[in-house]
Amino acid sequence: MLLKTLITRLLTMIVTLFGVAVVVFTLVRVAPGNPIAMMLPPGASEEDIARLTALYGFDKSLVQQFFIWLGGVVQGDFGTSITLRQPVDQLVLSRLPATLELAAMALVIALLLGGTVAVLGARNRGTGTEVGLDLTSGAVLSIPDFLWGLIFVLIFGVLWPVLAISGRIDPRIEFDFATNFYLIEGLLRGRFDVVGSTLSHMVMPAMSLALPLAAMIAQLLKQNLKGELVQDYATIARVRGFSETTVILREALRNAALPTIALVGVQFTFLIGGTVIVERLFAYEGLGNMAIDAVINRDLPLIQGIVLLFAAIFIMINLIVDLSYTLLNPRLRHG
Amino acid sequence: MAEASTAPRARHGSGLNLRLWLPLSWVTLLVVVAVFARWIAPHDPLAQDLLLERLPPFFMSGSEPGYWLGTDSLGRDVLSRMIYGAQIALFVSVIAASATCVFGSVLGMLAGYYGGWAERIISRLVDIWMAFPPVLFAVLLVAVMGTGLTSVIAAIALIDWTRFARVVRAETLVQTRMDYVDSARIGGARRASTLWTEILPNVLPTIIALLMLEMGIAIIVEAILSFVNLSISTDDPTWGSMIAEGRNAIHFAWWVLLFPLIALFFSVLSFSVLGEGLRQRFDPVLQ
Amino acid sequence: MTRTVLDIMNLTVNLPNRTRILRDVSLSLEPGEVRALVGESGAGKSMIGKAVLGILPPKVRISEGEILLDNEHLGAMTPVTRRNTVARMSALIPQDPLTALNPLRKIGPQIVDPLRRIHGWSADKARARALELLDRVHIRAPERVMASYPHELSGGMRQRILIAAAFAPSPRLIVADEPTTALDVTVQKEILKLIRELQRETGTAVLFVTHDMGVVAKISQKVTVLFAGKVMEDAPTEQVFSGAAHPYTRALINATPSSADPSRSFTPVPAQLVADLHREIAQDDHLYMTVTS
Repeated sequence: MLLKTLITRLLTMIVTLFGVAVVVFTLVRVAPGNPIAMMLPPGASEEDIARLTALYGFDKSLVQQFFIWLGGVVQGDFGTSITLRQPVDQLVLSRLPATLELAAMALVIALLLGGTVAVLGARNRGTGTEVGLDLTSGAVLSIPDFLWGLIFVLIFGVLWPVLAISGRIDPRIEFDFATNFYLIEGLLRGRFDVVGSTLSHMVMPAMSLALPLAAMIAQLLKQNLKGELVQDYATIARVRGFSETTVILREALRNAALPTIALVGVQFTFLIGGTVIVERLFAYEGLGNMAIDAVINRDLPLIQGIVLLFAAIFIMINLIVDLSYTLLNPRLRHG
Repeated sequence: MAEASTAPRARHGSGLNLRLWLPLSWVTLLVVVAVFARWIAPHDPLAQDLLLERLPPFFMSGSEPGYWLGTDSLGRDVLSRMIYGAQIALFVSVIAASATCVFGSVLGMLAGYYGGWAERIISRLVDIWMAFPPVLFAVLLVAVMGTGLTSVIAAIALIDWTRFARVVRAETLVQTRMDYVDSARIGGARRASTLWTEILPNVLPTIIALLMLEMGIAIIVEAILSFVNLSISTDDPTWGSMIAEGRNAIHFAWWVLLFPLIALFFSVLSFSVLGEGLRQRFDPVLQ
Repeated sequence: MTRTVLDIMNLTVNLPNRTRILRDVSLSLEPGEVRALVGESGAGKSMIGKAVLGILPPKVRISEGEILLDNEHLGAMTPVTRRNTVARMSALIPQDPLTALNPLRKIGPQIVDPLRRIHGWSADKARARALELLDRVHIRAPERVMASYPHELSGGMRQRILIAAAFAPSPRLIVADEPTTALDVTVQKEILKLIRELQRETGTAVLFVTHDMGVVAKISQKVTVLFAGKVMEDAPTEQVFSGAAHPYTRALINATPSSADPSRSFTPVPAQLVADLHREIAQDDHLYMTVTS
């Protein structure tokens, strides 16, 4: 049963990825502007242009180009970036850790913040506190990450300048990174100046991404918690002398979290999509920022590679969410 | 049971009117300002005056009378640019949201009502579209279509139709399974006309609520594209280009960022609250 | 002072708009006694148990009266002391065994954790006690059941687990809130018998909430009949069945289909009687509102 679902899901994933590949490939080819002309200095000879066009395969038909590219992708060859003249997979992998760290940090903030607010709301259900928290999270939810980013730039970058508003790390820090996971590597190697600097660059973009998700978690989880707290098992725990907070945390939370996970998963893909503009806003050297540069510079292979990677991440997250929902629920686990 | 019913009621009693009137007043203000921009704006939004560059707003020292919200790095009046910016923001939000709405709702209803191949193709398309990071998709589309407001509007419709298609498909599916559609069909109504006369009126409230939300989203997308320098020419007074300019000049003239940001903030919040209010009013489950 | 396990004196329970859910209810339980609380739905019979256990619904308040658990005034205690006293002294057997066990936790901790919290026992001691009680309620392979999730067990099995969990901390009082209503008739008998046996062995007093006069006859020594939150009759069970003093009690007995004797005819409670009782209570309410406002 579980295996059958898994296989169906994997097949759907491949079809979706193929669709994404077709769409992005078509889009970037119909874009105006000759990418080859852009990479050569003005006044380059006709032969030079023709040679480079052939080198990147732009002289073949669209369908041929597509399958050549797709054949490469299947073998792990995503082509060469036109502007940066490096293999796309290397470029993408060098930026991916920055985006992953940012998204993971945002997810952690969202879970902690949203979870706390949900528990507080459930703890104070039926009071003015709950109404206040509801109104606040409703408002927070409707403001997108881009606006939060600008608000944070204004507050903590200018009016009360305590945080760095651009970049990923203080360039003055001397540190020989073995990987591009700055935060994790800094932690593991005990370089707390690296950790501190990375965090101070990461807090604002991560918060911008986290706030809408946190608000959604706060609302959904609280609603689910309230549903669980009127169940008999919660009443029995109360009669046994457990405090309301213990009843919420130990009895109700797990049950309430389960239906919340599915929705949070979808929302988390939106969060990752949001990294594109938030990275741009904070000049954070991640994948999204690179993607926008690639679009502006008409770097076709790079655009294709990044979009495909994002799509793969989204699809993987959806799959993981579905699987974890099944694995966390003992009723589904056994068939 | 008691607590489930008391909490929303308490909120309705005190908050509903305020939650309706505050956003409605803001939107009205936007419309008035946009329509009468030519007469309200104290200055030409494009007029540069390098002698008047980076003037602070009226409450700070060094401000110049007549330039209430200060000027930007090229000496253009922030207030006037914001007033003309409201025109563009409203234009984009109304046109883009309507286009998105029509496009997505039609596909959603087709998928939900006819099922079969229509449903399979549309659902697969939705899956593919949902796998794109939306902002990157928008940036890419505008790059393909060339900058300009038309491209911005087209990009919004081409990306966000999935939001309508998903919800409308699900709603249509529910409505199609209800008895009255069967009875209308038995009564001799053609399939297409049943969709029009029986299903659309029932799905409409959801569509309208989504439309409100989409208007807020469209304003943001336009601002994002302006910010990335892809919307329309940077001279044009859009809130997004002002924000981009303010972000660059943030250490010299933060007010160039602050005021359009406030305008964006309230616009998005208002449309969202109105949309959510409509959704709750029409949602039979929440009533 | 007599040694009572539970003493409820002039208990009145209100909604915020002063609608009374319980009206001046008094009753008491001695050790080892089973008292049935009967009435139709909405009569407030469950509310009495909830008031004792401190689990009244939100907004519902005790406005007057006293509850004494083992001669201690619950109303005079701080919330934390009251919670601990109630947990030590009493337990609840709920109506629906399907929702009364946490679906995401294994059975074992759901019995063991409260024991450790209430008595401060070690994990081993609490576990031993849980196994002993599961064995006592005729659960085969209690070890395996402790490691199971609720959904793996039948409804009757879960209700037996809940009974074991209720008796495990050796409470002085058990509130059984319609514990057989959600079960099949065959399982019902078995569960009733089990509660009766355990209650006799341990000398625990039981407040047995039910709408079924047939169950009343089987399990209780005393009966309190409620109508619209008001005590209609309070008498020994035998006396109620041989000749109830209140017409409403007699009507209730006549309205109960007998599970022991299905052929016996039953008649619904006469509408006229209900109307008369409501009128009486309305006058009483009018008086209450005038006096208290």
